[in-house]
Amino acid sequence: MRCRYTGMETMWSLVSLLVFVLALEAQALTPSHYLVASDVDRLQAVLSQPFTDLKSAYFSVVGLSKLGVSVADSNDACSFIKANVDSSSIEALFYAAEASQAISSCEIHVSNETRDSLHAAVSEDSTVSQIHQAVSALSSLGLPLASQEVVSALKARISKEDNVVAITLALQTASRLSQQAELGEILEEIEDLAARLDDLGGVYLQFEEGLEATALFVSAAYALSDHVDMEPPLKEDQVIQLVNSIFSKKSWDSLSEAFSVASAAAALSNNRFHKPVVVSAVGPATVSHSHPLLQLHVTDVLCQPLSSANVLVESATSVASKAAILSQTPFTLRDGIFELNFMASKPASGYYQFSVAVTGDSRLVANHVELKVKVSTKVAINNMDLSVVDKDQSIGTKTTRVEYPNKGKASFIADSHQNFAMTFQLVDETTGVELTPHQTFVRLHNQKTGQEVVFVAEPDSKNLYKFELDTAERKTEFDSISGTYALYLMVGDATLENPVLWNVADVVLKFPDEEAPSTVQSKNLYVPKPEIQHLFREPEKRPPTVLSNTFTALVLSPFLLLLILWFKLGANISNFSFSPSSVLFHVGHAAMLGLMYVYWTHLNMFQTLKYLAIIGSLTFLAGNRMLAQKAVKRYSLHHL
Amino acid sequence: MSLSVIAVISRFLEEYRSSTSNKLKVIDAYLLYILLTGAFQFLYCLLVGTFPFNSFLSGFISSVGSFILAVCLRIQINPQNKGDFLSVSPERAFADFLFAHTVLHLVVVNFIG
Repeated sequence: MRCRYTGMETMWSLVSLLVFVLALEAQALTPSHYLVASDVDRLQAVLSQPFTDLKSAYFSVVGLSKLGVSVADSNDACSFIKANVDSSSIEALFYAAEASQAISSCEIHVSNETRDSLHAAVSEDSTVSQIHQAVSALSSLGLPLASQEVVSALKARISKEDNVVAITLALQTASRLSQQAELGEILEEIEDLAARLDDLGGVYLQFEEGLEATALFVSAAYALSDHVDMEPPLKEDQVIQLVNSIFSKKSWDSLSEAFSVASAAAALSNNRFHKPVVVSAVGPATVSHSHPLLQLHVTDVLCQPLSSANVLVESATSVASKAAILSQTPFTLRDGIFELNFMASKPASGYYQFSVAVTGDSRLVANHVELKVKVSTKVAINNMDLSVVDKDQSIGTKTTRVEYPNKGKASFIADSHQNFAMTFQLVDETTGVELTPHQTFVRLHNQKTGQEVVFVAEPDSKNLYKFELDTAERKTEFDSISGTYALYLMVGDATLENPVLWNVADVVLKFPDEEAPSTVQSKNLYVPKPEIQHLFREPEKRPPTVLSNTFTALVLSPFLLLLILWFKLGANISNFSFSPSSVLFHVGHAAMLGLMYVYWTHLNMFQTLKYLAIIGSLTFLAGNRMLAQKAVKRYSLHHL
Repeated sequence: MSLSVIAVISRFLEEYRSSTSNKLKVIDAYLLYILLTGAFQFLYCLLVGTFPFNSFLSGFISSVGSFILAVCLRIQINPQNKGDFLSVSPERAFADFLFAHTVLHLVVVNFIG
């Protein structure tokens, strides 16, 4: 049968594909790293350290003001600044001016020469850092500023100093200038810098220069964007990734690092365009009858609650049954915490997927959060019936009911002809709904021998738990040890508040073919094992020396026979010519035989071959000569 | 029956004594020596056992190899076979004999352990 796609089917498949793609895109990023209240306190403590010099005073005073806190003793701070300012240094003037501005009623007076030196610092020949310090000082001191000159100087310096820190300072400087100045080109630098950020795993977005550079960039970018009232070119996911990077470090190495984090936090919690939201549960996200309220912290990055926001549960669905329990239900705000009474909707125990939306401000970023909430309950054991059933079922079953947490009064006796059976029901204590927890075990513990055997109780289709023990069949698990066993029921689950260990009754089991009961030896794996003695390879058995010597003599004896035969045949060396080649030949040949012996006793193949080559070539040449002479002699003899 | 065997053998020995040259008899004596040496080694192996096997093998192969090389020498030197070995003079045969022995003994001594 061939299927033919009709027009309708094609359209539906396209629509479903589109919906699928949109659903993926809707999965926005939420902050995984953020400052909690203790972190903010720690940051404040770091910035509240006593000043060592003007620079540290600047970091502390201005940093604390960004956190919305004023410095401990403002008069003291003001006098410290005034005492330490050095009018000849642009940097010192910058620190003093900025710090004094953060302290109320602290004014620094500068002479005309100082003002002129500050103006002179604004030129193409100074570094961006110097221009930034001069402009900030002039602005904080309330002195007039030539914005257009600053802009042109900055543009010239940016093209020469093309690094992240310099451009960030340029952005920061531009935010102090008049709004009438042409800041468009400097504004574009935000986008260029954002492109230089490194994306780490889709979670973090930071400069390779580090945390401080990233944090200062964020505060400068938002300062400038707010100043010109144009939204910074950062996508929502990028903003959250920046939040993750900047707030992943909870203790700071230096005052300048702490200052940069405080700056960034202030910028992200209070700018005109983007406000990242941090939603987290108070404690574990669990509700139960005793704690029916789901409580959430909904804050900005500085851990301040968003009191004006509306927090709504868009949907709450059960993970197991996918049924929707809640839809469009609001949270109520109480003491800075958003609460919802989830138990009022009478959810069954288990896990629920919550989709929470925070609305009320168009600047909010990452305001749709997914949360997993657990509903716990207490379990009750009903209708616990114990019985001993005869296998051939000739005698009727006798069922005993035991109530939790009591123990059955009489022991149950089961031998090999009988089965021991147990049935019970597990229900939710409050609602009476049947439960099937993950762990329902039946444990039999022999008090005398310490042996224990654990079985699993299974529910049937009506959620009634049954456990049957066939004494004869299961005797191997028990090692056929008869005796009194304490029967325990163990019930446990992640969603149960009251896991159960209940000694239900005692069961006397009688096994057939019992050996003398031996106490079970707990298998101790960690005692030293018996030592293995290494057996060295036995040398082969050798024949007795006498035998070997006899045979050596026997094997050598034919040589004597040879000599005798040769003598009898009349072989002689009378024809030996004492020519040098023949002498050399015989010497060389003897040397070769000697080399064979030395090879056997001392040398290896390579050395032997080396010597053999030398001796052999000599012998060959000599022998060749000798044999040629012999041949000539024979030839002349024959052809006479 | 046995009479004819003895007759054949004695006839053979007689022929041998008269017709073979002295040179060849020298080589034949050498061959007998090698044969006996090899036989005695084999006898030891049968009686006592093959330990150490490599030594036995190298000794036995040395005997066998030497026997074969001596037989080759005898064949090449025999003037009756001159027609088969026109390019090989007796001196050349002897030189070949020595060279082959050098190689054989190199291997034997390597293996003897």
